[in-house]
Amino acid sequence: MSENNAMTLAPKKSFLKRNLPVVSTAGPISIWMIIFVMLPLLYILFISFMSRDVYGNIEYTFTTDNYKEMIQPLYLKVIWKSLKLAFLTTVICLVVGYPLAYYIASKPSKLAAKLLMLVMIPYWTSSLVRLFSINQLGMPNGFLNLLLLKLGIVSEPVDFLFSDGIVIMGLLTAMLPFSVLPLYSSIEKLDKSLLEASKDLGANPAKTFIKVTIPLTMPGIVGCVLLVFIPSLGMYYVPEMLGGGKVMLIGTLIKNQFLMTKNWPFGASLAILLILITLAMMWIYTRVGKLDELEVG
Amino acid sequence: MKMRKKFLALALSGLMVFSLAACGGGGDSGDSKDAGEVNVYMWSDYMSQKMVDKFTEETGIKVNFSYMSTSEEATAKITSGGGEQYDLVMPCDADMTGLIKGGYLEEINLENIPNLKNLGDAYKNREFDPENKYAIPYFMNYVYVIYNEKTCPVEIDEYKDLLDPKLKGQIASVTGIRNLFPVALVSLGYDPNSTNDKEIKEAYEWLQKYVANVTLFDSDSAEKLIINGGASVGLFFDGQASRAFDAAENLKVAELKDAIQLGVDEFVIPKGAKNKENAEKFLNFILDAQNMADNMQDDHLYSCPNEAAVALMPDSYKKHPAIDIPTKMKENYFLQLDIGDAAKTYDKYWTMLMSEENQ
Repeated sequence: MSENNAMTLAPKKSFLKRNLPVVSTAGPISIWMIIFVMLPLLYILFISFMSRDVYGNIEYTFTTDNYKEMIQPLYLKVIWKSLKLAFLTTVICLVVGYPLAYYIASKPSKLAAKLLMLVMIPYWTSSLVRLFSINQLGMPNGFLNLLLLKLGIVSEPVDFLFSDGIVIMGLLTAMLPFSVLPLYSSIEKLDKSLLEASKDLGANPAKTFIKVTIPLTMPGIVGCVLLVFIPSLGMYYVPEMLGGGKVMLIGTLIKNQFLMTKNWPFGASLAILLILITLAMMWIYTRVGKLDELEVG
Repeated sequence: MKMRKKFLALALSGLMVFSLAACGGGGDSGDSKDAGEVNVYMWSDYMSQKMVDKFTEETGIKVNFSYMSTSEEATAKITSGGGEQYDLVMPCDADMTGLIKGGYLEEINLENIPNLKNLGDAYKNREFDPENKYAIPYFMNYVYVIYNEKTCPVEIDEYKDLLDPKLKGQIASVTGIRNLFPVALVSLGYDPNSTNDKEIKEAYEWLQKYVANVTLFDSDSAEKLIINGGASVGLFFDGQASRAFDAAENLKVAELKDAIQLGVDEFVIPKGAKNKENAEKFLNFILDAQNMADNMQDDHLYSCPNEAAVALMPDSYKKHPAIDIPTKMKENYFLQLDIGDAAKTYDKYWTMLMSEENQ
C-alpha cells in the first residue's frame, strides 16, 4: 500500500527533476529543429496544396492537382532515374566500402585509426572544390587527357565528362566515407571467436561470411545504405556540375520548379514526395535490417 | 517558480537563436542615422567599386551590397518581402510583368532621376512599364552564337545550322527554359514568347536535335569549353562571349539571320524599401553619363542602354568583338515576355528534354 502511495505522489514532486535532464540536453536542439526544420517542412506541406497563379506567385486556393500532376510518366521517369542512380551509388559504396572497412578493422587499433584518418582527409575540403577538380581533370585538355595522349594510349581526347557515369562517380566520391565509417564500426565489434567457431564447425570461409559475418554486421550495412542512399537521392549539385546540365534528377527537377518555372506548389509537392520516399526506405530498412532487435554500432 | 525561470531561460535562448539567424541576410543597420545607407542586391562583379566609392564620397550615403547567383533568386527575394532587407534589387526584364502585376514594387519618383534622359529611347517606357514607374535598366546582354573558325565543321548563319549532326558534342550552350525555347521558336518562325501548345511542342522537338549536339549546358561558364577546345561552337551571353574572345583566338561571332535574344538587368525598388530616396539618388548617380562610363571602363564589358555613356567610351570597348556585333543583328532582337500559365507547359517539355538519354 505505502509503495503505491509513493508512486502516485512521486510525479508531482519530481516533475521538474525528472524533466530537467531532458529539457537541458534535448531542449536547445528541439527548439532549433522546431524553428528550422519542422516549421519550414509544415510550410512546404501547406504550399504543396496551393496553386500557382499566372505570374508564378502562390495562390492560396486548395488543390490536389500538384500531386495528380506527378503521376505523369514524364515525372515518374525522372524519379525512377534518381532512384536508379542512388541505388547504383549505394551498391558500389557497399561493394567498395565493405572490403576496405574489413581491412581496416583487421589492423591493430592504432594503425586502424590512422587508416580511417586517411579515408577522412579528402573530406576536409568542400565537396564542391572536389567536384570542380574532377571537372577540371576530365576536361578535353585536362590532366587525364594530356596524360593519355602523351602516353599514346589514345589518339583523341576522351570525353570523360557530362554523362550518367561521371555523375555516379561524383556521388561516390561524395559518399564513400559515409559508407566506410558505419561499416567499420560494426565490423570492428565483430567477435572474432564466432568466426573461429564457425570454422571449427566446418563452414568454409564463404559460408562463414554469408551466415555469420554479414548478419552480425547488418547494423553497419543498414547504416551505410541509409547514409548513402538518402543523400544521393536528393543531392542536386553533383548532377548539375558533372552532368553538363543534361542529367535531370529529382533534385534538379525540384530546383527548377522553385527557381525557373516558379511553380512553388508543384516543387513543394515533389519535395514532399522525396520525403515520403525517404521515410518509406527507412521503414523498409528498419524492417529488413531488424534494427530494433540489433544494437546499432 | 524554479520551473518558470527555466522556461524563461529556455525561451530567451530560443529568442537568441532566432535573432542570430535574423542577422544573417541584409546589410547592417548599424549607423543608418547620419547620411543613411542603401542596400543593393545584384550580380557580383557587376559594378565598379570606384564608382560606388565616389557616390559615398559625394553624398555620404553608404552602399551595402549582397549578391545573387541566379536572376530567379532576385525575383524570389522581391516576392518574399525583399523590401525588409533591400532598397534596390536586380531582376531581369522577363520577370517584370509578374513583379509589377503582383504589386511587389515601389513606384520610382522620376523627379529624383533627371539622368533618365541618358538612356536610349528603346530602353525607356517599355511595354511592361509604359510610364517607366518601376524599372531602370542597368546593363543588357544579347545571346548569340560564336564559333571557332579553325575547328567548326559547318557554316552558321541561322539557328537551324546548330542542328547539323556534324556538330554532335561540339556545342557549349547557355541553359534555361527561357533562353533555349525562344531560339527554337524563332527558328521555326513562331513568336519567341509563344503560349501555343502545338508550337511549344514543335520547339521541343527542335531542341531534341539541339541537345544531341550540346556537350555542356551552363549559363555562367560554358565558354571555358570554347577556350580549352572542348567545343567549337557556343550559344552564349555576350558576357561569356567576351571572356572567350579575350582568352582564345580564331573566334568569330556568327552573323545570324534569325532574331537574337536581348535580356536587360533592371534595377527596381521592392515594396516597403526603407531607404527609397537614397535608392533613387543612387539610381540617378549611376545614370550619369560620366559615372556610367567610368563604371564600364573598370573592365566591365557589357552592352549598355545608357547611350550618353557609351558615347564616352574608348574604342577598346566600342570595337570589342563581343560588343561590336553587326547592327543588323542588334536591331533584330526579341525580349523575354511573360508567358503566364504556359510556363507549366514549357517546364513539362523541358523536363522531358532533359530526362531523355542525351549522351
